[in-house]
Amino acid sequence: MKARVVVTGLGVVSPIGIGVSEFWKAALAGRSGISAITGFDPFPMEGYRSQVAGQVREFSPERHLDSPHADRVDRYAQFALVASKEALADSGLHMAKENPHRVGVIVGAGMGGMVMGEREITQLYQQQKPHRVHPNFIPVITLNSASGIVAMAYGAKGPNVTISTACSSSAHALGQALHCIREGRADVVIVVGADASITPLVFAGFCSLRALSTKFNGQPEKASRPFDRSRDGFVMGEGAGALILESAAHAKKRKARIYAEVSGYAATSEAYHMVIPREDGEEVATTMRLALSDAGATPAQVDYINAHATSTTIGDAVEAKAIRQLFNSRADKIAVSATKSLVGHTLGAAGALGGIASVLAIHTGQIHPTANYDDPDPACRLGGISRTIQERKVKMALLNAFGFGSNNAAVVLKRYAA
Amino acid sequence: MSDRAVILSKIIKALAEYLKRDSGTINETYHLRDDLGLDSMAVIELLYKIEEEFNLQIPDEDLPGLTTVGSVAAYVEKRLAPAPPASRASATKTAAKPKKKG
Repeated sequence: MKARVVVTGLGVVSPIGIGVSEFWKAALAGRSGISAITGFDPFPMEGYRSQVAGQVREFSPERHLDSPHADRVDRYAQFALVASKEALADSGLHMAKENPHRVGVIVGAGMGGMVMGEREITQLYQQQKPHRVHPNFIPVITLNSASGIVAMAYGAKGPNVTISTACSSSAHALGQALHCIREGRADVVIVVGADASITPLVFAGFCSLRALSTKFNGQPEKASRPFDRSRDGFVMGEGAGALILESAAHAKKRKARIYAEVSGYAATSEAYHMVIPREDGEEVATTMRLALSDAGATPAQVDYINAHATSTTIGDAVEAKAIRQLFNSRADKIAVSATKSLVGHTLGAAGALGGIASVLAIHTGQIHPTANYDDPDPACRLGGISRTIQERKVKMALLNAFGFGSNNAAVVLKRYAA
Repeated sequence: MSDRAVILSKIIKALAEYLKRDSGTINETYHLRDDLGLDSMAVIELLYKIEEEFNLQIPDEDLPGLTTVGSVAAYVEKRLAPAPPASRASATKTAAKPKKKG
C-alpha cells in the first residue's frame, strides 16, 4: 500500500512577518506587507513604472541563523535556511534519530541568487576584470544552492531536487514531495519555496513585461488587490515557506503533531504561451480536477481554495472562470482567499506560502482575508471571497499555482483522519 | 515626407522586422491583433522598440488605445508634438492591461 503523507512542521519568512505565528497573526488581520521599494540606490525609482513591493524587513542572516554557511549563499537561500529551521523545530524531528538517506529536500525557486548575480555581472561589464569575479559566484547563482545548503545544514542525504517553474515552483515542490514519500523513496521531505529577487534588474524586467501594478505607487498597501475591479497587475514579493512532509506512519511512530494531510497533486502544461494563460480557463479547471482525482476526492468535498490570484486583470478572471466550471453551483459556497493580497507575489515561494495558509486554515478553522477586495469585479465574482476573516471548518483545501512557461499545478490538502 | 509619414514608416519597418515580412504588406489600417496576429506580449515587444526609436516612455494606461498601426503612429506623433503637452489624461483608465499569467 502506498504511503499517506502528512504535514508536521511549518516555517515562514515573509513581508508580513518572520516566523509562522507572526505571519498568521498578520494574515488573519488582513495586514498588507506591501510598501514603497527601498534599497535600489543609486537607481532612481522614477525610472520604474511600478515602485512598490513586498520586501522582507529587518532580516539579518546573523540574527536568524547560526549556520557557518549562512553568509555564503544568496538572500533567497538564507530565507530558505531560516524557514526550514523553523519548520524542522516545529515538527520535532531529530535528525540524529533519522536515517539521513530517508530525509530529502525539495526546493521550489523561480529566480535564485539574483542579488549576487546582478552585482557580479555589473562589475564584470563595467570594470572588465574577469579575474575579479567572485569565486563563489557560480555556487551562489546555481539554482539548487538553496536545496544544497538546506541539506548541508541538517545532514539530509535523501533525494535533493530543485524545481523551477516560475510562479508555481513550490506548489510543484509540494506535489513532487508527496509523490516521493508516497512511492516510498523517502520518509521525510523538507519542502521549501524561496525567492528574493526584488533587485534592480529583475524588477525592471517585470516592469518591462508590464506585468506589475502601476496605479498604486502612492498607496502601496492598496496595490495588490486580487479579484477587485481596480486591480492592475501583480506586486512583487519575496520570502520563503517551508513544510515538513512525512509519511503518516513515520509521523505516528514518533508521535508528531499532524497539521494536515497532503493527498493529491496534478501538474499540467497549457502548451499555449510563455506568459499568457488560455482565457477559457479549461486547462486550470482540468488541473484542479486531476489533483482531486489523484486524492481520490470529488469537487463536492472542497471547502477552501487558496487561489493563485496574482492581481492581474486576466489571470484572476481565468481562475475564477475555471473554479466556476469545475464546481458549478457550489462555486459560490467555497471559501476562496488570495495570500498574494497580503505578501505580494513571492514567485518561487508563493506555492509554499499558499500551502501554509491552507494547512493553517485546516488546522485552525480560520481563513485569512483577501486584502483590498473592496469592489468585486463581476468578471471574477465568487461568493466565497472575503475581505474579512472567515471562520469555518475546512476538511479539504485546494492550492492553485500557475506559472510562466504555460504551466499549472494544483495540490489537495485535507484534515488528517487515521 | 511629413513627420507623420516618417513616424508611420518607422513603425511599419519595426513591425515588418518583428513579423519577418515585407513592409509593403503592412498598412496603417491594420489592426495589430486581428490583422497582424500580435498577442498582448507581442504588442509590448513592439512598443518597447517604438519607445527606443522615438525616445518615449509609454505608460500602461495608454496601451488600450493602441490597437491599429495608424493609432500607434498618431499616438507617437502626439507625444512628440512640442506643445501643448500631449493630453494623456484622456486615455481610458479602465481598459484591460496586458494579459499575464504570473
